[in-house]
Parts: sequence; C-alpha cells; structure tokens
Amino acid sequence: MNAEPGKIDTFLAIDNLTVEYPLQGGRKVHAVTDFTAHVKRGETLGLVGESGCGKSSAARAVMQLPRPTRGKVTLDGQDLTGLKGRALQQARRRFQMIFQDPIASLNPRMNIRDIVAAPLEIAGIGTEEERTQRVAEMLEKVGLNADQAMERRPHEFSGGQCQRISIARALILEPDLLVCDEAVSALDVSVQAQVLNLLEELKKELGLTMLFISHDLAVVKHVSDRVAVMYLGRLCELADAETIYRQPVHPYTRTLLDAVPEPDPDAPEREINLVPGELPSPVNPPSGCPFRTRCPRASEQCKAVMPELREITRGHIVACHHPLVPEAG
Amino acid sequence: MGEIILDVRNQRTAFATARGMLNAVDGVSFTLERGKTLGVVGESGSGKSVLSRSVMRLLPGNSVVPSDSKVILNGKDLTRLSETELRRLRGPEMAIVFQDPMTSLNPVLSIGKQIMEVLMFHMGMKKGPAKEKAVELLRAVGLPQPDVRVNQYPHQLSGGMRQRVAIAIAIACEPDLLIADEPTTALDVTVQAEILDLLQRMVKERNMAMILITHDMGVVAGRCDEVAVMYAGRIVEKAPVRELFNNTRMPYTAALLSSIPKVTDPPHRKLDAIEGRPPDLINPPQGCPFAPRCKFAGPECEEQVPPLEGPGAHQYACVKPLGEEVAA
Repeated sequence: MNAEPGKIDTFLAIDNLTVEYPLQGGRKVHAVTDFTAHVKRGETLGLVGESGCGKSSAARAVMQLPRPTRGKVTLDGQDLTGLKGRALQQARRRFQMIFQDPIASLNPRMNIRDIVAAPLEIAGIGTEEERTQRVAEMLEKVGLNADQAMERRPHEFSGGQCQRISIARALILEPDLLVCDEAVSALDVSVQAQVLNLLEELKKELGLTMLFISHDLAVVKHVSDRVAVMYLGRLCELADAETIYRQPVHPYTRTLLDAVPEPDPDAPEREINLVPGELPSPVNPPSGCPFRTRCPRASEQCKAVMPELREITRGHIVACHHPLVPEAG
Repeated sequence: MGEIILDVRNQRTAFATARGMLNAVDGVSFTLERGKTLGVVGESGSGKSVLSRSVMRLLPGNSVVPSDSKVILNGKDLTRLSETELRRLRGPEMAIVFQDPMTSLNPVLSIGKQIMEVLMFHMGMKKGPAKEKAVELLRAVGLPQPDVRVNQYPHQLSGGMRQRVAIAIAIACEPDLLIADEPTTALDVTVQAEILDLLQRMVKERNMAMILITHDMGVVAGRCDEVAVMYAGRIVEKAPVRELFNNTRMPYTAALLSSIPKVTDPPHRKLDAIEGRPPDLINPPQGCPFAPRCKFAGPECEEQVPPLEGPGAHQYACVKPLGEEVAA
C-alpha cells in the first residue's frame, strides 16, 4: 500500500509500521497498526492525537527503541529495521531524539559537558579537547552560556534550560532526523515559545528533517509542514498543516480541533460532536473503523469494514467511509 | 451587586526554606460573588495553587501567613478558625477539585464509599440514604451506569471519569465556593471540554461561586466572568474576561497572550517569546517583578512594586500600562 504515489524525494519512509506489546494470556496491546507516512528531506511531520493513540510508540519504533513488531523504517534509503548491533549504532548518528521530561532525561550525576559530549564519545569522535570545543559551540547555539554551563549539573538549570541541553545533546552528532516526543509539553508557555522558536531556527540552519509528536494541536501547527492525526494506533488523516486545520475531513480531526479552547473570549462557541463514551481499549479495538464507537457519522459499513487510506485531494489522505466534504474530482 | 461569598484581603503565604523565606503569595486581595467564576491564570511558580490552598487553609507546616491576611467566607474569617472548625466548613461551604484525580482519590476505597464518607460526616446521613445520594451524584456528573460504578475503585475508571468522581465528591454537600485547581491539565483535549462544561453547569445549577485555576489562557477565555493574572505571587491584572483579552493593560498579560501558539495562526509563525525566566521568589528584584523581562520597562519600574489599581473593574499593577503611550 503506497498512500502517496509518485513521491520520489522521500527521506524518511515509514511503511506499514505496527507495534504490539504482549500481555499475559496471549493478548496484545495494539499500540500502532499499519502506520504509513513519508517525509521529505528538510520537512517537519507533526504527529497528533490523544493519550494512548500510539504517537509515542510510533516515534520510538522509528528510533528502533524498541523495534517495531512489523513494518519498515527507511532513512535516506537505508532500512533501519534490518540493522543490528554496531551497524545500528553507526546509523543512530543520523537520527536522534528529544524526550518530554527535560529533567528526567538528563543524568543528574553528570555535568553538562559530559552529558552533551556523550554521543561524541560513544561514536569515538575527536579528542577530549576537541569534544569540549564542540560542546561549547553547541551550547552557545542553543542559547546557553557555555562557560557558565559546562561544569554544572542538571538540577542547577530550569526546565527550559534542561530542554535546551537535551537539544544540544541530540544535535551534536549533526543528525539528519530529529524526533521530538512532546518536547515542549512540560514547559510554561513563555518558555515553550522560546524552545519552539529555537527548534525552528535550528531546523532551518542545519537542514533537519523532523518528526514532531505532541498532543497540542496549536504547537504542532506552529512547527509542522504536514500533520498526521492518529486514533487508537491508526492514521486517520494526513495533509499539509494549512489544509488539515482549515478543512479537516476526518470526523475525529474535526472533533479534536473543536475541542481546543481558544484564547479568545469572542470566539464562537463550538459544539463538540462526539458520541458520549470512553476511548476503546487498544487491547480490544473495535471492528472496522476504530473511531466508529464515538463517531456521530458512523454507519453499519464502518462497523464491518476498516476504511482504507485514500487520497481525496492531492496530498490529503484520509481513512474514513464518510468524510466531511464531498470528494473532489 | 450579588452576594459576596468570598473576600480575600492581603493574603500573604511564605514558606521557610533552607535559602530563606519564599514569598509564594505576596499580598493578594479579591472578592467573589455567588454564581460567578473567577479564573486565575499564571505560569508555574506564580502562586496560583498556593493561593487556592491558602483559601482552603490546606497549607503545609512550613508555611507562614501573617496576621493581617484574611480569608472571609460567608462572613467567617477562616484564618481565625481551628482545624476542627475548618473541617466542618470544607465540604458544606467550600470544596476543591485537584489536578490529578488518581492521587486525590483513595485507591483502596470504592468511589461510592468516598462520596458516602462526605455525606455521612457532614450531613449526618445514614448508610442507605448516603449510598442512594452517591448514585444520584454520580448520575449528575455524567458517569454512565452510576449504580454499577458506585462499587468500583478508582483504577477501574479512566482519567476523565475519575475527575467526574472528584467533582461529585466536591459538590456532594452543596458548597458555596468550589475551587478547581488545574482540573483538566492531566486530561486529553476532548475530555477537557466535557469536564469544563460539567463544572460550568454545576456552578450554574447549584448557584455556587467558582475559582478556576489554570495555566491555559484558552480555558479561562470561554469559562470565566472575571480573570486574575498572577506573576511572582501577585495579581498583576484583573478584569472582566472580555475586557482583559480585548483591552490588555499589563505588559505581562499581553506578552503571555502573544507567546501562546494558536490553532488559528498560520504554520511556522515565529512566536513572541518572553525572554528570561520568572524571578527568584526568595530574592525578588526591586520594584515590579516583571520589569527585568518587560519590553517597556524604564527606570521608574524598578523604584517600587506597583499596586494593583485602575478605574472600575479593570485593575493592573503597572506604572507604564499599555494603551497610554500617547498620553505619556
């Protein structure tokens, strides 16, 4: 299944990615099912959805942390899912990750120089002196004062500063792909804006390709060229950022957008179109379309048949039997 | 003017720490009328949660509150009441819903027992009627199958359902004042909308007053009558909600509003970040606490802490408020 026919300049290809976690008694958590997305070089793909939708599992599977149960991840022509041991370690220089909790993802007993230099050391790059020089440059690049920061430990920094340190560590090997998993979710808005601006600048300067995962639709819109919406482990809709926010066609995307509280008291009140109930369990996903139990447009067809991904306008992909606009020719 | 339920006067709450006194809430005053919702917004460390606990008198042992701070609820000064007297008020007169429903509910008691506990202690109800009332409350907060759920434990419910239970407990004795402290921060966006709708409906139906504490400007925009913005332990701007958003006077409020990413923005818009970080509350700067980060600050801002004042209902703590550039 190739949802994006005719794409030749794909840099990161995620094909039919499936992540399952085994439970007792032979049951499985279906965290990600058949997820396909292709990302161009220098592009940012945003991945949104609510908790449990599989966005973090998908990101980790791209990082091979852990490997996906099935499916393929190809970076610049190299199949990452087939790599082992030393070859995988070598390849990892090209894809790095930033995590949600800025303080927990830094070793509290190491100083900042050693934390940021660790990837260089593991990759065996440079002498200690050269590495220190590189760390200093990188810290300045993410907006920290290298002289003051180098010898200090994570607890001496604020959350925003720790996230800058994580970014420095992720970028010191000059990766091509940066995966950000809820990278600004723990930060206050004023600091979040600083870090988002920094990521945008670095992306431009270093020509990074990014996979940006967040539950916050507004944040995702700010950094993404295209956006993928996930529900219960599956891709619902994928389109360029402008289109998906202006003209969502999957009922779930519409619901998500309507639920975002706008910081404007004069914004029109929006009805949230959702059948009352709970998110189904990923252990026992519903038959057919996973969203049908909450979808106001659900029909018998949705119950019986899982909707295939299809392109309704150029580059706008949706998995829905009853999308919100008539199909354009 | 409606009936004033809550009158907070010059509330100061400090904590003794190893580095010195930390002034978490530093001279906050406001009143709240029956049927109204006051939104309190601020970033982490601005003092909004300590303020809610100061009103509830749920402060830890190392806290220091000077004797001129007053919290007057229904005419009673809570700062003068004993712990036993306070316990009688928490529930029937004031109640709080916390951020994390997993830690605020007791994991080893069924949710029914946790609601019944409140009803039996405060209203002197017997077990049977209390259980009936618990089911009724669970139905009121929109829990499906309340007669089955009443016997379940918190771990059997989703986050949104747990928060509904926490709200049921809070409203069980029909309090006059409900404090919701980041009630939806741990929840997904669609669930958040449902819980905020529920809180709003409860306030209206039961004619309570509510303090809604949040870091999210979007949440206060649609759900409050009045909004107070906190920074470094103080209210720096307070106004009716439309006035605050449409005629912002305090530069901090304006900066906060423009640093928020919005779904209506075009992709890749550069955000107006506020440089720097909030001040150290143990050694606060001289003068206006926001001055070191403020684009408009001048030498006069560092002279003294500006008082919260202004014409009518719109008050701000700023010597160089926005919208007065022409007059200056």
